[in-house]
Amino acid sequence: MSENRYRGAGQPAEACTATWSISHWSDTHPVPSGQVLRDQSIYTQLLEMTLHLRQTVRKHFVQLMSREGLLQERRHAEAVHEQGALLDRLLCQMINLLQSGATSGLELQVPLPAEDSRGDVRYGQGTQLSGQPDPVSQMSDCEAAFVSRDLSNRGIDISALYQSKSQDYNDKNTLGFINLGTSENKLCVDLMTERLQESDMNCIEETLLQYPARGGQPFLREEVARFLTYYCRAPAPLDPENVVVLNGCCSVFSALAMVLCDSGEAFLIPTPFYGGFAFSSHLYSKVELIPVHLESKITAVNTYPFQLTVDKLEEALLEARLEGKIIRGLVLTNPQNPLGDIYSPDSLMKYLEFAKRCDLHVIIDEIYMLSVFDESITFHSVLSMKSLPDRNRTHVIWGTSKDFGISGFRFGALYTHNKEVASAVSAFSFLHSISGIVQHKLCQLLQNTEWIDKVYLPTYHFRLWKAHKYVTAKLKSLEIPFLNRSSGLYVWINLKKYLDPCTFEEEQLLYRRFLDHKLLLSCGKAYMCKEPGWFRLVFADELPRLKLAMRRFCDVLEERKQDLRVKQLEPPASQPEAPACHLLRYPLMSASSPEGRDVFLSGL
Amino acid sequence: MFTLPQKNFRAPTTCLGPTCMQDMDSSHGDDLEGECSRKVDQKLPGVGDPAMLSSGTSYLSSRGRMIKWFWDLAEEGYRTYHMDEYDEDKNPSGIINFGTSENKLCFDLLSRRLSQSDMQWVEPSLLQYPDWRGHLFLREEIAKFLTFYCKSPVPLRPENVVVLNGGASLFSALATVLCEVGEAFLIPTPYYGAITQHVCLYGNVRLAYVYLDSEVTGLDTRPFQLTVEKLEMALREAYSEGVKVKGVILINPQNPLGDVYSPEELQEYLVFAKRHKLHVIVDEVYMLSVFEESVGYRSVLSLERLPDPQRTHVMWATSKDFGMSGLRFATLYTENQDVATAVASLCRYHGLSGLVQYQMAQLLRDRDWINQVYLPENHARLKAAHTYVSEELRALGIPFLSRGAGFFIWVDLRKYLPKGTFEEEMLLWRRFLDNKVLLSFGKAFECKEPGWFRFVFSDQAHRLRLGEQPTFPAQSSLQPSLWPLLFVPTHHAIGASRPLASPF
Repeated sequence: MSENRYRGAGQPAEACTATWSISHWSDTHPVPSGQVLRDQSIYTQLLEMTLHLRQTVRKHFVQLMSREGLLQERRHAEAVHEQGALLDRLLCQMINLLQSGATSGLELQVPLPAEDSRGDVRYGQGTQLSGQPDPVSQMSDCEAAFVSRDLSNRGIDISALYQSKSQDYNDKNTLGFINLGTSENKLCVDLMTERLQESDMNCIEETLLQYPARGGQPFLREEVARFLTYYCRAPAPLDPENVVVLNGCCSVFSALAMVLCDSGEAFLIPTPFYGGFAFSSHLYSKVELIPVHLESKITAVNTYPFQLTVDKLEEALLEARLEGKIIRGLVLTNPQNPLGDIYSPDSLMKYLEFAKRCDLHVIIDEIYMLSVFDESITFHSVLSMKSLPDRNRTHVIWGTSKDFGISGFRFGALYTHNKEVASAVSAFSFLHSISGIVQHKLCQLLQNTEWIDKVYLPTYHFRLWKAHKYVTAKLKSLEIPFLNRSSGLYVWINLKKYLDPCTFEEEQLLYRRFLDHKLLLSCGKAYMCKEPGWFRLVFADELPRLKLAMRRFCDVLEERKQDLRVKQLEPPASQPEAPACHLLRYPLMSASSPEGRDVFLSGL
Repeated sequence: MFTLPQKNFRAPTTCLGPTCMQDMDSSHGDDLEGECSRKVDQKLPGVGDPAMLSSGTSYLSSRGRMIKWFWDLAEEGYRTYHMDEYDEDKNPSGIINFGTSENKLCFDLLSRRLSQSDMQWVEPSLLQYPDWRGHLFLREEIAKFLTFYCKSPVPLRPENVVVLNGGASLFSALATVLCEVGEAFLIPTPYYGAITQHVCLYGNVRLAYVYLDSEVTGLDTRPFQLTVEKLEMALREAYSEGVKVKGVILINPQNPLGDVYSPEELQEYLVFAKRHKLHVIVDEVYMLSVFEESVGYRSVLSLERLPDPQRTHVMWATSKDFGMSGLRFATLYTENQDVATAVASLCRYHGLSGLVQYQMAQLLRDRDWINQVYLPENHARLKAAHTYVSEELRALGIPFLSRGAGFFIWVDLRKYLPKGTFEEEMLLWRRFLDNKVLLSFGKAFECKEPGWFRFVFSDQAHRLRLGEQPTFPAQSSLQPSLWPLLFVPTHHAIGASRPLASPF
């Protein structure tokens, strides 16, 4: 994170340090003094501090080593001095955190120093190396900033993470907001409602009301195996013993992360990726996700935007291993979310072979497998392959949330040829269980392939195609570049030209501006996209709502265009002061001109 | 739901994850580990084979191997049962399950109620991502329901309710958000043993036992009585071992004792907890399964003033009281918004289907049916089954505890153990299994004294009776399912040296 932000390495050291320290403090202590710091966890605090510390130490030594530029010697000494002071201060803060944690007993969450105790962000000439804050006064400040005593640190962490990710979705949605941020399929509610009310759905048997078998009711596992054999075009019938059903794909991923990795180990994952993975791997299993950064630019190696290549995988793996990380697997989503890409059988095979070569598990999330709405495109499930390079390390996730638009049903399935993995994951089935009544309904739903093939899928695909056509036509008329794919419930759009400067901070501001107009989109940062300015727009909604949403979308962009025009007319010196602190925190990273045309306009 | 039919489950439980690994090296972990692997080796070749714990052949992480090993062990008895499950028509000589605490007495009533047309409602919002705390209509209904049935002095509030897919998930989530890795809850034993796994699997939280005795000593008035002194002692002990205790778990009505805490006792435990700044998780999952009115059960939510409302968290579910363990519905009631929010944050992983949420709201709303049809009938049937089994036990001269709450009788078979060891208890349990009866043994409840068994009686009379069972010798005066009880001492009297060999 910090590396992204401070890529402005070519800048004078002084300015760099200054912005750095400001951003550091305002980042870690967003809450004014006296306000309760409920959402902060000491671990995140310490982690962030340590990361900053590491970076400062590096810079410090770079400064100490570089003796060229004697003319600037005084300035050089100052910079070194400043960084020294900062280092001391950081260390002191960390000691304080640890001390107050130790003295206040394990149950008291470690409080943070109040913001006003560090007014001197610049560490100017007056600030001496010895000018570190007095630990005692820091402590009393700390006590003022009281935090919840009732939760464990990880409990606080979980709440904070959850709220940061989902408050917009939950709270705002009811107040007239249009949600094009959550990937939900709302196109076939009528069909599903009707289907679920048919008489075969309602069955109350004694076994359905009793404790379910580990891993799911046998009848449902058999049905899932049949269903996947048919729709994934498996060369041989899939084995119900290899199926585990849980209450959602995120539960499956969480359980997989638990049994494939130990705490602190990691998976590789190409970016941009569905943010839920980060959530699921962090909450319980404490598994790290190492991003394999993909780029939108088309180059000699990148034949299409955000192309995943084995070279990039190799590179990311090597880099992570050099840093001492233990990588246990690779996570792929196919069809991709948020890109809408579909991996060709050839590329898929290459990724699988790479994984085999490096002893990595591969988790493939095929949750959008039936949401491919262009007939000319064929989706190849990994289960359709004649022979898998490493059967025992290939694990497939599928669920009904997207393809059948029933995310509220809570159903996710794992298919793995590895009986040991299936058995270990099924140990979690009591914590992620599905109601017997729902297991019956799911079984009935999946069983009726005639209805799925003749009624449901044709209607669903047609409606997806129509909604997609409507939205993409709008985007074209607005000259907004996007990835034109024919799968998934979303388009990945590029709003870079509406950011000035092109930073994640500006991306966030644009996201907020959409919210102000009661429109919810997801921004690229949430997908760990490396380049600011990308948004995911979900189109699987009914037309009247989509129309209104696109009107709001246009309004925001029009407004934004005006702003940018005004800004360009003004001389640089008189840039507005109010949001300056935000802008300051993010030194210009790339001088991408707003007019710069993207190579990949629609039509790809 | 299910208890552990394996003696040595404690070691792996406290051994999950990194903290536990360290523990194995510490003094009190050592012998347990040794004992553990030896036993496993001897008794269960192939199942939970410790060889699997070495990383060489496995695709799992070390915690993954531990989890799998542990669960395979835990399910051993159930595997035998599932392979030879009793079925009236298909397998009349199969194993009868008196081990799982399920209420199988009222399926007729439930299936009729759940088949009514109001249960079949489907609407778009039920099919989409819910509020992770649970749909508001359900939380409102739960608040009203608990206010009424727990006799709360003030109306309970929907914002204090969180809905999850079962009590197991709720224990797991509470453990995770209240404790750090390696910290502990106090729990009086014997207790429902599955809690051990619930708090450990994800949360890596352990249990510190408050051991209770069957003998009535000192100021105690009844067997296995919980007192504040015993809580204090256990807390001190945990601290002296360096274990940080974050709370107390109380099950009321108690499982497996079938006992309830009086309001005064409850108050004392809560004051104790407040004194030590401990959370109290009160599991009231059997709250409506009190079938003797004289018992005088009181929910913790009925207390006029909770000593520490911010640290008191109540659990309830439909699994037991409505005999629907397969429905997966449980609820948390806590005034602490931080705790409610933190648990809700985990609900993405422990959510239940919108359709089921709707059905639950319909069910809980239907007071007429609950009060006039379901509860009276359920209590009458529980009482009849209880009377039947307890009379049989009396006739056999077997001591037991049961005060009229829950689905089980806590049976004292100590006199059938030649030596008072858990090995002998295990052998006796196996003997029952060989005779097609699945019970739960005391060790699975961390009972301190070998020889106690839990007998679940909430089953249909024909299964309790099994009069026509062909595999059992026709001894008309004896009920075959209880028959093994009588058989055991005779067998020992003639000095059989191979207790595992089935006489049949």
